[in-house]
Amino acid sequence: MSTPIPAPQAVRAAVRTVPTGDNPYLPAPARVMRVAELTPDVRLFDLRFHAPALAERFTFRPGQFVELSVLGVGEGPFSLPSSPTRRGIVQLGIRRVGTLTDYLFDHVVEGDFVGLRGPFGNGFPVELFEGRDVLLVAGGLGMVPLRGLLQYLIDLRDRFRRVLLLYGTRTPDQVLFRDELESMARRGDAEILLSVDSTQGKPWAGRVGVVTELLDQVSFDVTSTYAVACGPPVFYKFMLEKLVKAGFAKDRIFLSLERRMECGVGKCGHCAVGYTFTCLHGPVFSYWDAINLPELIYT
Amino acid sequence: MQTFRMNESLLPSFMESLKRWGRLVAPVERAPGVFSLEEIDDVARARPDALRTIVPFKKLLLKPRFAMLEGVAGGRVAASDDNFGGPVVYLGAHACDIHAVKILDLIFLSDFVDPYYKRNREQLTIVGFGCFPDEKCFCDSMGTGTAEDGFDLFLTPLEGRFLVTVASARGDEIVCALPDLFEAATRQDRSDYLARLRRRESSFTTSIDIDDLPYVLELKKDDPVWEELGKKCLCCGSCSMVCPTCTCFNVMDEVPQEGTLRRVRTWDACLYANYALVAGGHNFRAARADRVRNRYYHKQEAFVREFGKPSCVGCGRCIDNCPTGINVVEVFRHVRGEL
Repeated sequence: MSTPIPAPQAVRAAVRTVPTGDNPYLPAPARVMRVAELTPDVRLFDLRFHAPALAERFTFRPGQFVELSVLGVGEGPFSLPSSPTRRGIVQLGIRRVGTLTDYLFDHVVEGDFVGLRGPFGNGFPVELFEGRDVLLVAGGLGMVPLRGLLQYLIDLRDRFRRVLLLYGTRTPDQVLFRDELESMARRGDAEILLSVDSTQGKPWAGRVGVVTELLDQVSFDVTSTYAVACGPPVFYKFMLEKLVKAGFAKDRIFLSLERRMECGVGKCGHCAVGYTFTCLHGPVFSYWDAINLPELIYT
Repeated sequence: MQTFRMNESLLPSFMESLKRWGRLVAPVERAPGVFSLEEIDDVARARPDALRTIVPFKKLLLKPRFAMLEGVAGGRVAASDDNFGGPVVYLGAHACDIHAVKILDLIFLSDFVDPYYKRNREQLTIVGFGCFPDEKCFCDSMGTGTAEDGFDLFLTPLEGRFLVTVASARGDEIVCALPDLFEAATRQDRSDYLARLRRRESSFTTSIDIDDLPYVLELKKDDPVWEELGKKCLCCGSCSMVCPTCTCFNVMDEVPQEGTLRRVRTWDACLYANYALVAGGHNFRAARADRVRNRYYHKQEAFVREFGKPSCVGCGRCIDNCPTGINVVEVFRHVRGEL
């Protein structure tokens, strides 16, 4: 089977368009098929493009993002927690954190329409991971884009060797996709270790402590493993150093960054960091690239 | 390259004729020595010789504020025509302005094409006009002191006449349509033109050394100069508004009491405090020093890495308009340790 995702596209090499249309700012209507509560403040939205051809054609690379919009409320970038190996439905994992997401939580119900445009950004270099071990480390909401990558790795399981996930949240009720991750671990598709900063008196079989400590629980061959990290700024600050200490070369560590990606197409300027536009050159960077852009991680 | 000559006395007639190719836009003197680009009805008001308009031509390609999308709540959303200005003839572009439009083309017509920019750009005719530098001009050292392409016609004032250079099929069309205005350039015209170019080159008093500037900046990311500048800069964004290549924009939804919803795009500046603020409250460039540095790096380092040349054309507008007297040329001399 050939690669089921679009090849990585070179930035500014040629004129290109997105599947949602020639006008990259114009969203295509998509219907909300299902809304599921993952945690009290994170919901999983299943969306389907209204145009049947677009719904079938729409594909992306794990790690890319889309812009979701409700005209009159606003627009924002969201990473894709599903895998392009599963066509037809576009999933978004959304935390209630501002005007647009408040609206999505309070007013948008199954059957409603929202606008989607994209996909944008580079995505994870999954081709590089083939035949290698892949270590995913997630902090908090960083699990959302990594869940898309994890699904991709599992759907094409025989292309990759070990798949490990280390995932930390503050409390047990903030663990995203918990049932799914547990059954993945039971089936032996991936080795999964969870940690929480505090149990807050709730039942918890995983580890208690900061997520970086999970790295001490596993052993791996750093010369044939790629690490992929995603989490909030403070998570990067400690996790990346820990990975380097564990022996990872800086160009074998990848991270996905959050910025203010307003336009998604390298025009508005808001996500610029150094010479990069997070929306075009990123949101996935190697740690080596990232440390050469001082504002990228430490702020 | 085709060259013609036009008698100086024919300029008003030429300007009047240009209206056939679109709305004529040229500098107009609003107060003594203060020029703005405006649509010209009475050609006597046009001042193509004006050295520098406050706001550059970018305002006619992408309006300071326009609706990108329109629609009704929960219904159809469509692209808006709000930004479209129809055919425009821009008279009075200097070499730096022409290079600025070429930079805008790089930004908006490469990769994902911006349809709002493209539509106005395709209907734009550029008629350049030769200038002489003042103490704020440093186009010569930015490599943008002359333009060989990127315009349709270019008028260089010589004694009693203009040398007219043609650089596009549309320029040729205009010349052919106005046979009474143009005649073949003479040997004398061409040598006077070259003499003027040389005189102009030697009259620059401000210069900037950009040879290894990206490399120097790369090394001086943590230089104290950025902190010092951060203390001086008000982050008012004036430099960005008047910069012919600053193109950052913000997007907001407008909800009127009744009627159509609009997704509006407005000029923005990377110096504004909330520029890099994301939902949840994290501001990736909360410090003024970081925002100031980001602006200068974008112009002279980032853009070079991305497009092979800086995105500053040396027009001097930011020097002219900074309320605290920050001078871009001095900033880079400071960074190099020369001041």
